[in-house]
Amino acid sequence: MKNSKTSIMISILAIVSVASSLYFVIPGSIEAQSEEKTFVTHNGGIVRTTGEVLDPLYTSATMKFDPMEYLREFNYGRVSQLPDGITLREFTIIAEDDKIMEVSPGVFYNVWTFNGTVPGPTIRATEGDMVRINFINNGSKSHTMHFHGIHPAEMDGVFEPVGPGGGQFTYEFEAGPVGVHPYHCHMMPLEEHIVHGLYGVYIVDPKEGRAPADEMVMVLNGLDTDFDTENNFYAANTIPFYYQHHPIQINTDELIRVYVVNMVEFDPVNNLHLHGNLYHYYPTGTDTVPSFYTDMITLSQTERGIIEFEYDYPGKYLFHAHKVEFSEKGWIGIFLVKENPKSASIGVEYGS
Amino acid sequence: MEVNKTSKGKLLASGLIPFVFVILLIVYLFGSSGDLLDVGVSLPEVTIEKIVFVDGEIQATVRNTGHIPVEVVMADVNDRIQPAAIEPDRFLNRFETALVRIPFEWNESEPYTVGITTEDGTRFEKEIKAATQALKPSGELVGYFAIIGTYVGIIPVMIGLLWLPFIKRISKAKYNFFLAITVGLLLFLGIDAIEEATEVSAKFLAGSFNGILLIATVVILSFLGLYYSGNKLVKRADASPYAKPVALGLMIAIGIGLHNFGEGLAIGAAVGLGEVAFSTFLLVGFALHNTSEGFAIAAPMAKGKPMIGKLVGMGLIAGSPAIFGAWIGGFAYSPFTSIVFLSIGSGAIFQVAVAILGWIRKEDDKFLASASVVAGIAAGMLIMYITSILV
Repeated sequence: MKNSKTSIMISILAIVSVASSLYFVIPGSIEAQSEEKTFVTHNGGIVRTTGEVLDPLYTSATMKFDPMEYLREFNYGRVSQLPDGITLREFTIIAEDDKIMEVSPGVFYNVWTFNGTVPGPTIRATEGDMVRINFINNGSKSHTMHFHGIHPAEMDGVFEPVGPGGGQFTYEFEAGPVGVHPYHCHMMPLEEHIVHGLYGVYIVDPKEGRAPADEMVMVLNGLDTDFDTENNFYAANTIPFYYQHHPIQINTDELIRVYVVNMVEFDPVNNLHLHGNLYHYYPTGTDTVPSFYTDMITLSQTERGIIEFEYDYPGKYLFHAHKVEFSEKGWIGIFLVKENPKSASIGVEYGS
Repeated sequence: MEVNKTSKGKLLASGLIPFVFVILLIVYLFGSSGDLLDVGVSLPEVTIEKIVFVDGEIQATVRNTGHIPVEVVMADVNDRIQPAAIEPDRFLNRFETALVRIPFEWNESEPYTVGITTEDGTRFEKEIKAATQALKPSGELVGYFAIIGTYVGIIPVMIGLLWLPFIKRISKAKYNFFLAITVGLLLFLGIDAIEEATEVSAKFLAGSFNGILLIATVVILSFLGLYYSGNKLVKRADASPYAKPVALGLMIAIGIGLHNFGEGLAIGAAVGLGEVAFSTFLLVGFALHNTSEGFAIAAPMAKGKPMIGKLVGMGLIAGSPAIFGAWIGGFAYSPFTSIVFLSIGSGAIFQVAVAILGWIRKEDDKFLASASVVAGIAAGMLIMYITSILV
């Protein structure tokens, strides 16, 4: 009698242990049939799955930051005239450090922002203008704005930390020199403040202006989402692969001018290669005569310049880092070149 | 009768009351006061348990081995982002697994690192030293594993059994020496299996499974289970003087069979995961090593009537599990099952060693103080150690 009870207990014990180990060994064996989805690989292959697709495609539904909008958005500030006739451009920039942004589909990262985006707004002025930045720090840490360019020491945004929770500072300086420059927070630890997203582009136009062109801004940046001092993503304008899946539309026979600023940290260099074309390169944009005619430039930290080109033939052309690790982690895009409606008639003229 | 019933009810209630309070405690902690002890940060943890290479595709089995649910959002190969599919879906609860399919034109025998990124941007990776085409269960492969299993399991055990006539002819003291050798062999095998299970655990099993404790638990459960049923078997066999050696031999055969199942799993997995090329050299090593297992069965059987049929049956019980192990290991590898079976084998073998020691104690007055027993155990361990170098 006693014996049989013990054996029952032992068999129960055995069943329980076997069942629980089976649970670990074959979990999820009961799965509902779902409809098939397809996706396209980088080589153009089509793959079917009963599950879900993991692909850095960005849908507008989840998007809080629109790289297409940022691309051609230039902020000239609130314009007024100073008594001495100088143009005053006033900007309000608010720093925050608590935003969680979906930087790539499904990947959420704590971005630190100027006016809510990474990169911050593109600030544009003409040489000799007075630039006034009303800086408000709504973050939880001290932040500053440090502009590359020529200005008095106390406007350098290094030794004047602006306190958290509404601290204010007014940066005021004469726009110059001509060119494209970065601005960024200069609080320590500097690397942390920069890689979280506190940077943007500052363009100073020459007084005589530049030739009319389809202008755009590309900030080459990286995201270290797991804080191991190695970038997990690279991009032009923050969102990996964005311009690959949403090509930038341009026209043939139209001058394209791109203000390129390299803000990638951790990796010593970045570069930019354009397909099916070469471009004129103006390092830092300080000179009106291009230094190179090339399809490849190398940029170190905060190195920047202006590239100008025109396409003769319509079609899809890649632009990407030729450090292909970066392009395979998101720093890649496409120019979709369309036949210029104006040049079509010119073409006839050329033929005649 | 009435009194008895109420006392039984009371007994039951007193046994259940602590459980009720434990459940209440759990409900309380998880429920309204969920934030009560919410200090520290729970980090996601994903373990890539297995990577297989098929035509134009790398497949990774991932498991959520952390304390919080995770969402798998990206896959990469060699740290380069790749479009991929995840089946059945990208949300993984604790311990849940999913299959990540990454279309990729991989190259034979090159190393690859597969990475998985979760929603907070954390990346987990696993490296494969050399990519090889995943084994597909084909008739040919089933046969291949069966042959390996036969060479590693059945044939050496059968050869070992051929010592039976020799053991039969020797004196009692010498016989005890050979029985003690068996004990030494078994102790070594048991420790060997634990070592192997520990290795698998360190290499493949996520920390949350508490690999070492899993091994300890299964070894002891297996030991107790076999001890209990083995005792019953021997007790029943007590009736006839000839049945007892058979019962002991059978116990040893079962113990070794469980051990060989674990060994087969390890071999199948090693081939299946492309970790080793199964060379002839390795095969010779295993065969030499396992011949001693046949000897272990033969030693107690020598006391009984010669029964060729039963002997062959025991050889099969001890040896053939290696084939089944190789099939499962090669086609459906899971580190968890591997560790469990290695541990079961280890526990079973320790039990058999204890049973034989008990047998020797009955036969030998001096037992562990006798030179033949001490020398036998030592010789058994040494033989196994030396042959293990060949594996």
